[in-house]
Amino acid sequence: MSEVELQLCLALPTPNITKGFKFNLNNYHGFDHLKQMSCSGDKTSRVIKKRDFEHAFGNFSDDCNALPLLLWSGQPNEEDDNHNDRKKTTFVTDDMNDVEVDQVVGWPPIKSWRNRTCHHHHHHHHKRALGNGRSIYVKVKMEGVPIARKIDMRHYHSYQQLTNSLITMFTKNEKCDGDYNARYTLTYQDKEGDWLVAGDIPWHGFIRTVQRLKILSNWG
Amino acid sequence: MQKKVACSFPDEVLEHVFSFIQSDKDRNAVSMVCKSWYEIERWCRRKIFIGNCYAVSPRMVIRRFPKVRSIELKGKPHFADFNLVPDGWGGYVLPWIAEMAGAYPWLEEIRLKRMVVTDECLELIAKSFKNFKVLVLFSCEGFSTDGLAAIAASCMNLRELDLRDSDVDDLGGHWLSHFPETYTSLVSLNSSCLGSDEVSLSALERLVGRCTNLRTLRLNRAVPLDKIANILGRAPQLVDFGTGTYGADLQSDVFSSLAGAFSSCKELRSLSGFWDVVPAYLPAIYPVCSRLTSLNLSYVTIQSPDLVKLLRHCPSLQRLLVLDYIEDSGLEALSSSCKDLQELRVFPSDPFGEEPNVSLTEQGLVSVCLACPKLQSVLYFCRRMSNVALVTIAQNCPNLTRFRLCIIEPRTADFLTLEPLDVGFGAIVEHCKDLRRLSLSGLLTDRVFEYIGRYAKKLEMLSVAFAGESDLGLHHVLSGCESLRKLEIRDCPFGDKALLANASKLETMRSLWMSSCAVSFGACKLLGQKMPRLNVEVIDESGPPDSRPDSCPVDKLYIYRSVAGPRFDMPPFVWTMDEDSALQVHALHVAEYNRKPDWIGVGTYEESIQGLRAKMPFVLYLAELSNTSQCSSQPLLSGDTTLTPPRPLLRLPIETLESDDKTQRSKEGKYMIKMRYSMNPTICFEIRPISTRSFPGV
Repeated sequence: MSEVELQLCLALPTPNITKGFKFNLNNYHGFDHLKQMSCSGDKTSRVIKKRDFEHAFGNFSDDCNALPLLLWSGQPNEEDDNHNDRKKTTFVTDDMNDVEVDQVVGWPPIKSWRNRTCHHHHHHHHKRALGNGRSIYVKVKMEGVPIARKIDMRHYHSYQQLTNSLITMFTKNEKCDGDYNARYTLTYQDKEGDWLVAGDIPWHGFIRTVQRLKILSNWG
Repeated sequence: MQKKVACSFPDEVLEHVFSFIQSDKDRNAVSMVCKSWYEIERWCRRKIFIGNCYAVSPRMVIRRFPKVRSIELKGKPHFADFNLVPDGWGGYVLPWIAEMAGAYPWLEEIRLKRMVVTDECLELIAKSFKNFKVLVLFSCEGFSTDGLAAIAASCMNLRELDLRDSDVDDLGGHWLSHFPETYTSLVSLNSSCLGSDEVSLSALERLVGRCTNLRTLRLNRAVPLDKIANILGRAPQLVDFGTGTYGADLQSDVFSSLAGAFSSCKELRSLSGFWDVVPAYLPAIYPVCSRLTSLNLSYVTIQSPDLVKLLRHCPSLQRLLVLDYIEDSGLEALSSSCKDLQELRVFPSDPFGEEPNVSLTEQGLVSVCLACPKLQSVLYFCRRMSNVALVTIAQNCPNLTRFRLCIIEPRTADFLTLEPLDVGFGAIVEHCKDLRRLSLSGLLTDRVFEYIGRYAKKLEMLSVAFAGESDLGLHHVLSGCESLRKLEIRDCPFGDKALLANASKLETMRSLWMSSCAVSFGACKLLGQKMPRLNVEVIDESGPPDSRPDSCPVDKLYIYRSVAGPRFDMPPFVWTMDEDSALQVHALHVAEYNRKPDWIGVGTYEESIQGLRAKMPFVLYLAELSNTSQCSSQPLLSGDTTLTPPRPLLRLPIETLESDDKTQRSKEGKYMIKMRYSMNPTICFEIRPISTRSFPGV
């Protein structure tokens, strides 16, 4: 069975889209499983229609200058907080420069102005807009808690305020008793990618460098 | 006997009676009673709603209703909101404004949705309608604040200026200062969509101060928090207020003046805006919260506990827009605080992330539905759903009129049973007998459409994505939903059969949108040919659909009923499938053969039309039949076939001939028109003077 790249392109002209279009039965079953689909009919029929298209057209040029919409290589993603029991695959592509995750056009159905004016991101490494009062979003993960949070660092003015808020945020789901500080350590990843214990540098320097937060348990 | 009685009422009496009938449906019913009622009614109709601007032409409207004072028009299909309709598709309002400028000098209200409005349009409005009062531009685009300045400067009786969700080229806030100092009539201003960082605060403050009837004021993000107190101080009578940025470094004096300003607004019932919120400033609105009926927190990126704290102060809340930061726990708290809730919209904070970033599931919605008996309208984005949850919702909220559920990942099954969500949505349509609008998501087979066709008898609008298995699904909907007006479908395996079998249904609907489905080009052509009162438009950016086999699926399809015939302002990527479409195929091939720069031969009229429909820029010259190698050096007409219709186009040269070109005037008979395409070489065809041939569409 031949390897496959299922490619749907954002930009047209169409002739380029169907270049290199083949179908991988192995990966299809995986895709089936991943998407939790109990009916697979529609996917196959879409596939076949594109094939007819290809036959009708004839030869295509080699370069697809269209931006691939969905390129699935079947490789697991590289994020370190990937859980083994998660059933999804991230769609990763080599071709694209800055977008980590591909989306289907117009889905989810959110009005474009809302995307513009809100903080919706198409990629996880969003820009920081320091100094003009705009928000600074940082992902927060707590060890043992599956759901990560996103917080706006602009809401806080000190480490104490931050940790107080994080306690409220995370411990409402956990049965926490006793001293929080004794049980957990707040760590952060700085601009250079290093993980450090929070609290050593002044607050203003901290919010300029923090990329991610992780709350580690002191036990075990 | 009864006929006599009806005729014995003088027209003025009937007119007076009709003036109490406001709804369009009733007015339309009145006009169908008899001819005299039709006549009387049409002369006294003041308000017109046109759900699809291409369903009728401005001239037809004006001819029937000569005394209209208020018009509402909608342009692009709904999916244009999600970037599915390419730029340039259409929806231009200028032809309407231009016709109405002459016909309705007393026009007072223009409401537009998803239309292209230019500064030229706004300037035309400003100078043509002396008593202009209301301008609502909902999700429109194409204009700048310069156009708004023209409106501000000229419309002395302007009461309402609402730009909600429009894409405006904001050149800075100076347009506000174009309202004259003597102007005081403003009742409603919504400029929240303006994106520039600049705004003329002093002009805004003065405007607000002198317009004592101001009830609605929605500011844009550029207005800083510390200005709110001043603005509210000048307008304590406000009922609906939208803040600008609601964040700044916390300063106690700013906070206290803000709180004071809010507390003096005794009439305030609706709040929105709140960009860049700093939570510490939220308590400033607590004084008004108990009276609030509507709250839009959909830009507020604070966490659930803070949201709940705020919402506990709002027991009268009827309408809430919020981000999914509220989470299930927050919605549960909401359901216990806000018993009057009628509308809930929960938007995703991170719609493109692969993993959930908040703990918001189907439970949140269920808890609201269980506890809020007045809930009617739901828009909910989440990442998982179950049939049992949907059934619970359906059974506890039978009064739902709008239910839009978006499970973010397409084709997501019931997370508990891994089954499709057919049964759940089936319960919704079965129990919610007044359901008018429904949006589906998740894993769905043809069964859900069977339920919808069977039960959703009042359903007017249905949105479907990534659902269904076969044409049977579409058939169920088209054959069963009696009240269906708008159907929009994307990425579903629906093909030709259901569409063609239910062709006549389409004439009872406003419109049908299908994209990334399996409808073939051949079926579109057939539909276009057989249904003259339908406009069948194929949108395909990859080239003419007839350069591919008829069996190939079309990319996007938009079908709508129309008494105006095919529209003339289509861009190059939109093809209309009307009666001539069969010839259209032929003519394009003819065009392709003309490789030489000079024209090859005389084509037929039909071929010529189709050649023009190739949608390319052209220049028209005149050449006499006997001397085909020579043509006049003056172009008769040049332009772009995208903008001018092929049929009236052919009229124009003749008129030009007759009025301007004296030497040709006497020469009836055949003329040659040379056309030179910018990409293709010339195509030629003959025209005949109007007197000897009737032009279709005249």
